[in-house]
Amino acid sequence: MTTTIANRGLPAAEDIVGPTPGQQLRRRIFGHRGLMIGGGILVIMFLMALTAPFLAPHDPYFQELLARVKPPVWTTGEWKHVLGTDQLGRDYLSRIMYGAQISLLIGFAAAFISGVIGTTLGVAAGYFGGRVDMVVTFLITVRLSMPVVLVALAVVALIGGSLTVVISVLGLLLWDRYAVVMRSATMQIRQMDYVAAAKAVGCSTPRILLTEIMPNIMNNLIVVATLEMAHAILLEAALSFLGMGVQPPLPSWGLMVSEGKDYILFEAWMITIPGVALFLLVLAINLVGDGIRDVTAPENRN
Amino acid sequence: MLVYTLKRLFLALLVAMTVSAITFSLTYLAGDPAISMAGETASDADIEYIEKLYGFDRPIVVQYFEWALNAFRGDFGESYYFRIPVADLLLERLPVSMTLGVSAISFAILLSIPLGVLAAMRPNSLLDRLALGISVVGQAMPSFWFALVLIVMFAVWYPIFPTTGSETWVHFVLPTIVLGYYATPAIMRLTRTGMLEVLGSDYIRTARAKGLPQHVILFKHALRNAVIPVVSLAAVQFGFMLGGSIVIESIFALHGAGYLAWESIGRNDLPVVQAVVLVFSLFYIVLTFLSDLLNAWLDPRIRVG
Amino acid sequence: MKKFLAASALASLALVSAIPAALAGKADDTLNIVWERELENVDSYFNTAREGIIVTRLTWDGLLYRDPKTMDYVPLIAKSFKWVDDTTLEFELREGLTFHNGEELDADDVVFTYNWVANPDSGVKTQRNVNWIKEAKKLDKYKVQVMLKEPFPAALEFVSGSVPIYPQDYYSKVGPDGMGQKPVGSGPYKITEVEPGKKIVWEKFDGYMKDGPKGTPTIGKIVQRTIPERNTQIAELLSGRADWMWRVPADQADRLKSSGKVQIINEETFRIGYITMDAAGITGDTPLKNPLVRKAISYAIDRNAIVQALVRGKSQVVNSACFPSQFGCESDVTKYPYDPAKAKALLAEAGYPDGFAIDFYAYRNRDYAEAMLNFLSEVGIKANFSYLKYAALRDKIRSKEVPMAFMTWGSYSINDVSAITSHFFTHGKDDLALDPKVKELLQKGDTTVDSAVRKQAYSEALKLIAEQAYWLPLWSYNTNYAFSNDVDFTPTSDEIPRFFTASWK
Repeated sequence: MTTTIANRGLPAAEDIVGPTPGQQLRRRIFGHRGLMIGGGILVIMFLMALTAPFLAPHDPYFQELLARVKPPVWTTGEWKHVLGTDQLGRDYLSRIMYGAQISLLIGFAAAFISGVIGTTLGVAAGYFGGRVDMVVTFLITVRLSMPVVLVALAVVALIGGSLTVVISVLGLLLWDRYAVVMRSATMQIRQMDYVAAAKAVGCSTPRILLTEIMPNIMNNLIVVATLEMAHAILLEAALSFLGMGVQPPLPSWGLMVSEGKDYILFEAWMITIPGVALFLLVLAINLVGDGIRDVTAPENRN
Repeated sequence: MLVYTLKRLFLALLVAMTVSAITFSLTYLAGDPAISMAGETASDADIEYIEKLYGFDRPIVVQYFEWALNAFRGDFGESYYFRIPVADLLLERLPVSMTLGVSAISFAILLSIPLGVLAAMRPNSLLDRLALGISVVGQAMPSFWFALVLIVMFAVWYPIFPTTGSETWVHFVLPTIVLGYYATPAIMRLTRTGMLEVLGSDYIRTARAKGLPQHVILFKHALRNAVIPVVSLAAVQFGFMLGGSIVIESIFALHGAGYLAWESIGRNDLPVVQAVVLVFSLFYIVLTFLSDLLNAWLDPRIRVG
Repeated sequence: MKKFLAASALASLALVSAIPAALAGKADDTLNIVWERELENVDSYFNTAREGIIVTRLTWDGLLYRDPKTMDYVPLIAKSFKWVDDTTLEFELREGLTFHNGEELDADDVVFTYNWVANPDSGVKTQRNVNWIKEAKKLDKYKVQVMLKEPFPAALEFVSGSVPIYPQDYYSKVGPDGMGQKPVGSGPYKITEVEPGKKIVWEKFDGYMKDGPKGTPTIGKIVQRTIPERNTQIAELLSGRADWMWRVPADQADRLKSSGKVQIINEETFRIGYITMDAAGITGDTPLKNPLVRKAISYAIDRNAIVQALVRGKSQVVNSACFPSQFGCESDVTKYPYDPAKAKALLAEAGYPDGFAIDFYAYRNRDYAEAMLNFLSEVGIKANFSYLKYAALRDKIRSKEVPMAFMTWGSYSINDVSAITSHFFTHGKDDLALDPKVKELLQKGDTTVDSAVRKQAYSEALKLIAEQAYWLPLWSYNTNYAFSNDVDFTPTSDEIPRFFTASWK
């Protein structure tokens, strides 16, 4: 089944070869339009999340039941609530700003947990080969054959949703791609001369893994991490949309789409705003991921 | 080839066993299944009676093997909610999910392979950019959101397509687009890279040098080679789609297996949830098994290695 | 490429021409109704949903019928009825009635049905609908007696609402499975098609009684479809592919109404919302065991504001643990108007000057629950919120894991507090108060026939519940019905749409 896994359209190990001089790299980064756009959006999202406590015009949890479902300023709304208010009269702009914290937190935390699991398994399989590889490949196959959305939904429904539960479930489910990519990347690096040399001079295995293998598969790791971050953010949104994600009153964008869903036919902006925010964030992360791959592996750009 | 097949078959069976064990252990996250089974007006005595009757008081391993053995024979127990065999429910609902899955993957292939080929023929052209744009947007768009947007457009503003039900193929148009579009980026990118690789290879250059017409080179030589990995990707994507169709099925009121599973989760109807998870997993396992065999048959190196 | 374009153009043409003509509604005399719920079984003895009651009322008749306007019990299959003594009811039946399959309806069918449902082995899902029946006896072809296990004043309610009469010959032959697939009743509409959980089709029953209290049906055909997504339902309604839906949220109802494309009628229902609190310490040692804390919570939530802003319609704040029109529902009980300062003072008195954290659950109206979360946090109570599906939450409560939850109860549309207060406060699985005094009073009310004595007992129990703040009763619910401008439909406060009285305009 390894063939199938390797063919999933993921960045293969050969995409990235060797380090490049810093200057050249910088020029490539700033010359890459996708990377610049994606990076730009991502920076804005980060700033939004970080400055929300200072810049948000209102408390995102403050409800004003007499000022519900006020439209945004470009339709018939007022400047007091630039993006309008939600079904409980909470300021939409403030919730969007705080929502960036949640999406980014979930993206990072889930990508981190799954990254640790997947990288450990993948590197171990690729470096040691043999039995270890067999077991890891088996685990990957098992994981791939479980329907992610369904399993995540069932687990969250059975033990109850919260931010921690959602992050843990996503982290425990999304490690497969890391394992696949890290495994094949490590396999290639293992055969390099400098690894053989390090072995010959008697370096310990952990040391070889940390100083020789890890730095050389870092690029792949970052690329996969961006993909999984985007994946986790979309999955959280889908879970929250179905009411099985993070719990109110947290201003998760997926939850906002879900809560605005009832208004879709009449107040389309209520799902459009958080929907677009989600779309932009995921788009930005994907562009950055693609960009990093292109920049670090120029010969594959065609 | 026989040894290879047997090896793969053994692996597939082992995976199926593991998956079924994980699926079964979902029961124990849910607390006491007897409470769900006993229903609305049960007393403590009723619950105890059910516990004994269904053997929930036995060790979990014993219960698992009994369940797995029955599942192997196609008996997934009885739905707590509908009080009919889960297998009957599945037989009724699976065709809808399958139809949706098949039409979505066909849609994805019909959209992404031509786009991928065209993009590869003229790298960095407007068309290539367009194709890239479609794939980037597809990856970033939440599918539940896309579905809602389509409903507003095609049910209210321009009522062309029905938005609910599964009576005729027309009912599948919108859900097919949403679900299929989701799989498009991956297939398109793989086609494009594959084509680029093949187009740059020696034998295509030779074919060009021989003066063969462009379409012969493209379709007879290049595409055939580039499409092999795409086939196995499509098989895998099809498996994913079955599992990922829950949201789409519920928004478009398609009474398929995904929607059944989602509703059953809410009703604590565990036999159904377990069965659907297992069946979707088995689909994936069978599909990858077949595509492995196909690949081995196409590429002898795999068989030996 | 050209070929490809031509092919796709052709394909899209084929698409457009293959679209089925919109189901016409009035033009083909078919009322298309949609709802959200997947009905597990059309056999009313084997489902628990309100939609199941709608199906039952359309397809089957009981011995009696409660007139939704006057709330009186009038004979339906029966021609007349009387209490022989406290535990014996006697019915005289109409003559010449038939079931949809032509089978004659007489005393045998009535006796068969009552004796069958009274037997616990039959597995009737909602046991409380039938577990008051001891047995039924045939006196002659058109006369039967129904014996009760003990005096049960609410029996007429169940006779009229929950015990549809089944055809003896057919049911003994096909059993519950056959009844679920090919139902046969004697009601105004006969079922011609069932796809479990998806679709039910009815046709007008031409042999239906002419002068019955349910009237004579006029619409030829009714088609029900299950659509889980409410927006899709509204879209179907607006595009004319559906003629009727219900439970439209207040905001959408306003907008639909002002669009003028459909009619909207709001009607109050028997359902009330409440917050249940673990006063007995079933889930462990929570602050809720302290009555001061429960009172503080009651003062902290501005129910009026929520009703006016969110619930709207004909809803009103309720103060006792029952729906105001129900028999025995005492309204003169301890009241807890919105007073956050008092709530804080009570919390401080109870030893929680800085509030506390508590798990809080809900299964419907997430927005109402969120509004309550906010009110609680203003007095310092941090509620960890979980939104679950109904069955999951019910099971969690029964597994003793839920200290506090926002729940609702529709009393099965029964106009008597025994259907709500007695259900929750007589130490059953949903009782988190376990107050022996309350239980005793309620049981007295449930088994006494003298209505003055009943009233007194219920009143004392409800006063005690409010005084101890075991529940915080919230508000009554309302339902927005949305339907095509072609349809003449009148909703009733028992939340059971009666399509047999609907007609085309």
